[in-house]
Amino acid sequence: MSPTALLVPLVAQRIRRDRIQLVLWIVGTAALALMATAAVGSTFGDEAERESILRLTLLAPAILLFRGTPNGAGEGEFAVFLILAFLCLMAGLMNTFLAVRHTRADEEQGRAELVAATPAGRVLPTAATVVHGVLANVVLAVAVAAAFAASGLELAGSAVTGFAVGATGVAFLGLGLVAAQLFRTSRSANALSVALVIGAYVVRGIGDALGEASDDGLSRTAAWPSWLSPIGWAQRTEPFAANDLVPLVLSLGLAAACIGLVFVFQSARDSGASLLPGRAGRPSAGVLLSGPTGLAWRLSLGAIISWAIGAAVAGALATTLTPLVGRIGADAPAIAETLRQIGGPDASLEEAFTVTFFSMVGILAAAAALQAVIKARQEETHGTAEPVLATPVPRRWWLGGYGLVGGFAILVVLGFAAVGALLGALASDDPAASAENALKSALAQAPAALVYLGLALLVFVLLPRLTIAVAWALLAAGAFFGVFGELLGLPDWVHDLSPFSHAPLPVAGEVDWTGGFWMLGIAGAAIALAVAAMGRRELATDG
Amino acid sequence: MTTVISIHGLEKRFGSTVALDGLDLEVASGEIHGFLGPNGAGKSTTIRILLGLARPSGGEARLFDRDPWRDAADLHRRVAYVPGDVSLWPNLSGGEAIDLLARLRGGTADRAAYDARKQRLVEAFQLDPRKKGRAYSKGNRQKVALVAAFAAPAELYILDEPTSGLDPLMEQVFNREIARAAADGATVLLSSHILSEVEALCDRVSIIRAGRRVESGTLAELRHLTRSSVAFVHVPGQETAIEGLEGAHDVVVGSGRVQFTVDSDRVAALLPELGRLGVQGLTVAPPSLEELFLRHYGDDPAMLAGAEATA
Repeated sequence: MSPTALLVPLVAQRIRRDRIQLVLWIVGTAALALMATAAVGSTFGDEAERESILRLTLLAPAILLFRGTPNGAGEGEFAVFLILAFLCLMAGLMNTFLAVRHTRADEEQGRAELVAATPAGRVLPTAATVVHGVLANVVLAVAVAAAFAASGLELAGSAVTGFAVGATGVAFLGLGLVAAQLFRTSRSANALSVALVIGAYVVRGIGDALGEASDDGLSRTAAWPSWLSPIGWAQRTEPFAANDLVPLVLSLGLAAACIGLVFVFQSARDSGASLLPGRAGRPSAGVLLSGPTGLAWRLSLGAIISWAIGAAVAGALATTLTPLVGRIGADAPAIAETLRQIGGPDASLEEAFTVTFFSMVGILAAAAALQAVIKARQEETHGTAEPVLATPVPRRWWLGGYGLVGGFAILVVLGFAAVGALLGALASDDPAASAENALKSALAQAPAALVYLGLALLVFVLLPRLTIAVAWALLAAGAFFGVFGELLGLPDWVHDLSPFSHAPLPVAGEVDWTGGFWMLGIAGAAIALAVAAMGRRELATDG
Repeated sequence: MTTVISIHGLEKRFGSTVALDGLDLEVASGEIHGFLGPNGAGKSTTIRILLGLARPSGGEARLFDRDPWRDAADLHRRVAYVPGDVSLWPNLSGGEAIDLLARLRGGTADRAAYDARKQRLVEAFQLDPRKKGRAYSKGNRQKVALVAAFAAPAELYILDEPTSGLDPLMEQVFNREIARAAADGATVLLSSHILSEVEALCDRVSIIRAGRRVESGTLAELRHLTRSSVAFVHVPGQETAIEGLEGAHDVVVGSGRVQFTVDSDRVAALLPELGRLGVQGLTVAPPSLEELFLRHYGDDPAMLAGAEATA
């Protein structure tokens, strides 16, 4: 068979394997685009209000880290400002995961060997991955363009937006394939890829923030760092404004260079080998790794650090952006009203703003705790809980260790948020008050997060097979009803089901801790009940 | 002699599936007990109950005369366990996993002795302890579990198909470690379906099938339950005499040799008659464990033979 004929079954296998995963990524990204374009009309009011929001970015360029470069206040331009960088971030993650999944992960698992032993050989599967990835990006580009056009936006601008997202995806496909050549494990390759995607997002955010604003404050020329990032290149197409496809030559050129390099590496190296040698571990264990809690800590550490970094950023933003809040009240009444609904009727706008950010911190802390419990479940299904429970470790202690690590994770995440908030407050007019407000807000989230830890432990003991699904579903529901319930006009009792709506809030300088003590009691009871019940539960190893 | 493992009428059901259906098992202190059965016979379920990882649905299981479910943690001070399919923590090195499990078992109290034992085992099994768990092959994961088990001394070793994935050289190392443990007075429950391993190591054997024990005893006792095979050079004209031999079954004459089986307790009585026939190139083979095994697992020998013929 000719190589082209061999390529067909390889690509077909990739499409078949990814049929659900890729559909979710693409539909999710398009849905995000649709939500943003719809929000332009409903949340951000008329052109005058959009203009005032864009001018706010002059005061707080940090906002640009989370949005994009403004290119005018028209509906299309504003939608691009809101969402394009996010869409590129999604495309980047979708593509690097795709690249690693079909190359390094297959090699690591030994599946690549089966295929390499057929006439397809070692190199053709990588070519199939390139074809598969490019096809996926074409579909992604069409879906994003369709989402923009469906909101009634101009066709040319929608098409440029879609093309920009797709080209960014192809660039990251190339980068992901290179990462897969470098490391021996898919985990390392994925870690580097995700760092590249997030790095590209942050670098262009810095470039945008450092850029020079136009005289009317409605558009901005990005500084040089944005030119280092594929996401920056996508923004330079200026959809709906300039509609310039030339910057995407950089994205496609980068992809071509990466893919060329990958084929050079791939033809030169052994199957299963990598350019960088795998890192050796320690020959013996450190002091910390001496008991079930130490093990739980070691296994959860990576996840806790990621959540904590997110919380530190959220904390820093809460206090950095506070000075802006007064202006929002004057310039953008719709947004001010939204914030006030989250904060409650008596809160000042600044307080409402801080509360909004710290509700997110609370969600992050709860997520970190849930991951500790989910790790326990993964240990149980993966078969690594069994050797531990075959030693003199009682079942209750074993689970208690994960509970302890979950509680500690909450403290670490909230602590990082508080530190971030303190750093952000240094620049404000009244650092002391700002810092105290932030610290109280961080502490106030602990009881709600602990309730989630308790619930997750209970689910783990009573319905082990559903642990992961139920834990995330509870958190998503609580976050949604608690933070957005009032905005959506849901009845109070639905809103009150969420632990986050009972977090003690600093309102008018006073904090009512009653809800917090109630939740602490509930959390304590749930944790104690779960740990006690674990003494009566068998190991449930089947998924 | 005291009993270390004592199981009576043990039952375990998973929904409508019956994994153990009235199992009996006795393992005395200091013995190496072979625990034989095909896949799905209930060996691993029995071991999980003995380790307190699962609770019996009925019957009784005792470990050191205590309840393995209620007193699990306490009992595990005296137990070392090697699973058949070893899972390791992907981001922990083999050395870290070995140390962790040994510490959990309290086996590192005498630091110097533990380090020396670990060092000796790592070398004997030719294991690289610096590799991460995800980087080990199946055989090397098995070695990590074996080193962890033998690095801290135990009164009872529960080994669930411990040599799966090991090469013959490493199986020899494993056999030596078992002998060393037995010399120290330890008890071993060795679940396996590698018959040569059981024949080489075990004092007593229990064979289970479909959740019940079908046979138990020393290898010598079990051999009495089945037939020895006899073969010699065929001399034309002796057919009638051979057919008339008392106790001979399944006589086959062909390709220059005569073969038949005989009840093991009748072999001695048969020898003078063979002498009178003046047979040459005589071999008398005791029944192998394999035949025992086949007798209990091959439901119908004729069907087995048929399956082989079509395979």
